[in-house]
Amino acid sequence: MVHVLGVLLPDLQYARHALTTFYGVGNRTAHRLCARLQIHDRQKVRDLTATQITELASFLASPSTAPPLRRMPLALPGYKPPLVSVPTETLRNHALRDSLPGRPDPLKSLKIEAEARRMVKENIAHQRMIGSYVGKRHAMGLPVRGQNTQSNAKTAKKLNRVNRFG
Amino acid sequence: MQPSLILRSGRSAWKGPFFVAFPNLKQALEDNVPIRTNARSCTILPNFVGVRFMVHNGKDYLPVTVTQDMIGHKLGEFSHTKKRFTYKATKNR
Repeated sequence: MVHVLGVLLPDLQYARHALTTFYGVGNRTAHRLCARLQIHDRQKVRDLTATQITELASFLASPSTAPPLRRMPLALPGYKPPLVSVPTETLRNHALRDSLPGRPDPLKSLKIEAEARRMVKENIAHQRMIGSYVGKRHAMGLPVRGQNTQSNAKTAKKLNRVNRFG
Repeated sequence: MQPSLILRSGRSAWKGPFFVAFPNLKQALEDNVPIRTNARSCTILPNFVGVRFMVHNGKDYLPVTVTQDMIGHKLGEFSHTKKRFTYKATKNR
């Protein structure tokens, strides 16, 4: 039984699959998360160590303020290793300084659960406020993207609201 | 132009947003005269803010006043093409 931020992760599933229980985390993001936290591809939730669970919880609590990914630049042929006396912290800072600026970290802007739901609601509210067709269809509880409505359209009738849940 | 605007459109960045050049845009903004147009697929650009349009919906020209929040949307999104059915009893039967 693993609870992370109020979400129960299924014990017997692979961690990369169990992470998709979070609202706002799909297979792709779950894969990234596992890579970030060094969770093995075939690791099940019940086999996660306490440290990994804590790391996961602390990362998901606020992805934007999580410590940056440590970059490991490859050494050039003429590289001389630093002296043993140099403290590790200095080495890490140097590595960060020398590393090339990469693409922005996609996990920084990760939004899950309540935050993600709020984002969806805000987007719908925006459409409604400016009076666009999309907003109107949400208010009517009908499909937004031109689907047929003579029959079916059940999902839209169930979900499409201005104040959407789920 | 916000970069997110291009990203959201799903159109390649080098093309930029699709829009129709209105030659009378500046004049319309000054005189507050609505621009009559059929260009429903024209993206609303930042310099359209405050301009009044009459956008064709297939039958009539409906008034659309562009606000800041509408930037990046299309003109046609604000000129609805469907009317809800209402039953009208016939007089002479």
